[in-house]
Amino acid sequence: MMLRLSSHLSSRLVNLNKAKREGRKIIGYTPGGYLPEELVLASGAIPICLIRGGDHSAVELAGAYICRWLDTFCRAQIGYGVSRDDPYYNIVDTLAIPITDNHIRAVSDVLDYNTDIEIFPFGIPHMKEKSTLDYYLHGITRLKAKLEELTGVEITEPKLREAISLCNRERELLRKISLMRESELVPISSKDFVALNHSSFLADKEVMVENLESLYNELQERAVPLHKGPRILLTGSTLALGDSKILDIIEELGGVVVIEEFAEGIRPYWEDVKLDGNLMEALADCYFMRRIPPAWFRPGMERRDFLIKLAKDFNVSGVIWYQLMYRESYKIESYYFPDLLKKETGLPMLTIESDYDAAEVGPMRTRIETFIETIRR
Amino acid sequence: MANYYDELLKLCGFEAEEINNERPRIEKAFRKLELGPEDVKRAESRVKQNHDIELMGVRKLLGVWFKELVDLVLARDEGKKVVYYGFPTIMGPGMAVAIASQEIYCACPDVVLCHTMGQIFNKLAPILEAGEENGLPPGHGLCSLQQIRVGALAKGIIPIPDMVFGSSYFCDMGSKADELLHERYGHPTIYIDGSMDSRWGEYPEYLPQRVEFLGAQLSKLFDKVKEILGVEVTQDVWNKANAMSRDVYSGIGQLTTQVAKADPMPISRADVEVSVFLFSGSTGRARTEGPNALAILNQEVKKRIDTGVGVVEEGAPRIMTMYEHFSDPSITHMMEDAGLAISATVFGPPPKSRPTYTTLSEMVAEREMRLGAYHSAYGIAKRCELSVEDSKVDGVIYNYLYNCRPFALTSHLVKRWIEENMGVPVLSLEFDLYDSRSYSAAALRTRVETFAEMLRAKKSVRQSTKG
Repeated sequence: MMLRLSSHLSSRLVNLNKAKREGRKIIGYTPGGYLPEELVLASGAIPICLIRGGDHSAVELAGAYICRWLDTFCRAQIGYGVSRDDPYYNIVDTLAIPITDNHIRAVSDVLDYNTDIEIFPFGIPHMKEKSTLDYYLHGITRLKAKLEELTGVEITEPKLREAISLCNRERELLRKISLMRESELVPISSKDFVALNHSSFLADKEVMVENLESLYNELQERAVPLHKGPRILLTGSTLALGDSKILDIIEELGGVVVIEEFAEGIRPYWEDVKLDGNLMEALADCYFMRRIPPAWFRPGMERRDFLIKLAKDFNVSGVIWYQLMYRESYKIESYYFPDLLKKETGLPMLTIESDYDAAEVGPMRTRIETFIETIRR
Repeated sequence: MANYYDELLKLCGFEAEEINNERPRIEKAFRKLELGPEDVKRAESRVKQNHDIELMGVRKLLGVWFKELVDLVLARDEGKKVVYYGFPTIMGPGMAVAIASQEIYCACPDVVLCHTMGQIFNKLAPILEAGEENGLPPGHGLCSLQQIRVGALAKGIIPIPDMVFGSSYFCDMGSKADELLHERYGHPTIYIDGSMDSRWGEYPEYLPQRVEFLGAQLSKLFDKVKEILGVEVTQDVWNKANAMSRDVYSGIGQLTTQVAKADPMPISRADVEVSVFLFSGSTGRARTEGPNALAILNQEVKKRIDTGVGVVEEGAPRIMTMYEHFSDPSITHMMEDAGLAISATVFGPPPKSRPTYTTLSEMVAEREMRLGAYHSAYGIAKRCELSVEDSKVDGVIYNYLYNCRPFALTSHLVKRWIEENMGVPVLSLEFDLYDSRSYSAAALRTRVETFAEMLRAKKSVRQSTKG
């Protein structure tokens, strides 16, 4: 199945270009899980999440446009955007940017000023209250109007319902596959599960769902060997497509990542959109109110409680917290979360930081190796 | 009986009677702050070196900060409920909370500590180090202002607050640092949230929903103040807070306008700075003693202008900076020593506007949208442009705060915007406004001197062409 998906993705750009020539609009968006793809699909446009990262040359390119004290992934997006080095940046008609924090805002402002990419920002508040929900709902309502204007297609209730059903199915399948890893026998590696997530940001939605369905069936029937390595929860700000060194190192050293929790790079698949009532309100309810928020929410207790629940449910032996440089929300939480984790579960945590620099690999390997040896005992 | 600190207090504009009356409080505060005779001696020479002590207005303003420090340190011991707000600040709510009850002490402690433990005593380093050891480590571009707050609480030199309200409408860092402190000390933390989601080019326009959202968040703050502190911020309280703010702001406005128009520059910008952020740090002494200190300084400045006295040569290139250093005036002096007259800052006179909203909170929110800084990066660039236009400066030193993401993200944008749209050269200077350990003064000097030389050459060419 992974091969089929990989083949679909290798011809994805060609197919997107063809669709574009035929008049379909391509809507790029930044990851973070706050853009309801359902709206894009219901407008007849194609959603593409700009999820590439892990590449220090893109970070270096950004240096001419912004100082270095911004998140590594966000600087990489600026690098790709200004250089058009990432082909997906060349193909989008509009780049919708849910403004989650000041790092993502930097991407929006710098690309808006320095490129001809049409930017559509809309704000994501940092707390769950009535006024913040209203603001989020207003943001996605503006997005809906923008998509209708861009595509000339009215997003009707039946079209939106159909798109929600499709996206719910995708979330449900990812959830089911992920939950299979609660078992002692882990039927899918984290690298493969992360690859599924990354694929879901780029692939045609129906193709993706079909592939997930066959994979789910395949995994149910597969005889799984027992991995003896320590089970690990991997969490952090961003796990981009191409930023594979953390997973490579953990797996090479015998660790088994059984669950991932990331603000950017892993699709929020825990909740589905309810299909009763007003569908725009249902989108806001799922994408904003019921979503486990990232660390830039304040306070961040909901996410921390969720991490503790994941650690218990997936029976892990340790947590690896992988953050990118200068994302201050994660840096600060990484200071006091280990005490909370220890208190609630007795588990240790290792914090790793990256600036997408090749020189990091050696020290990263040493630290992870020591951590895995410690929790293996 | 005279004491080792009397001379310093006199330098900070204290009257003899005040010194005698305040002695027990000052000594108690000094003990908590671990300030002794050596620190005071160093502070005396620092004040003389960095500030124009011939000007009684400057001395009085230093005194306002000094007294605020003592009030801050002793607030809990003196039976006050303690409320902290974040920087940058929405003007008004803090003042309203402070005047709603005499039992409340309300301030931004980090700004007060910068202007006193930094600017007067040069003793911020141990506080910063305590902040670094308690959750905000060095090397990660974390905000030094927050390190000061975290460090001061960890060292026990400022009281644990009864309530905090944070600048969640602007800054992720401040809110997360507030959360860190809440985890440690358990005090209620109210986040005034917002979302700076206007696109490049939108300012001065804004979506009405932004005002409604921020307005709702400010209303929530007042509800929480009532719930937690039992104090009601009524319309009457709000009107009083606004009237008091106007007094101080008109004094600051008069000072900055006089300075902006004068040639030669009558006082150092370091002496203007001690007034500009008075309200950002203090709602107490700034309100009760700020207007008088400013009135004295305004008179003194006028006299200097009338007699042609200046701290920089007449005809010197005029520049605009982002802000002056909160705790290290030597940086401002270094720019002036390079022959630059600092006549304006990025946030010059605010654009005039009439309120269109009627509720208290929405009126405040609307004003903040129009002021630009909380609007967007483009709002900051446009305010900068308006300030350049208004002050007709020869150049801009955009000394952006590297560890403040909302300003750091404008690092290259503002430079390009001003140079392309105004034809005014901009030196983009990575800077820390609070922590003097974060930069090399010598490296800054080299860049500033080169920039000054370039501005002088341009100015001279322009003058000879005119001639």
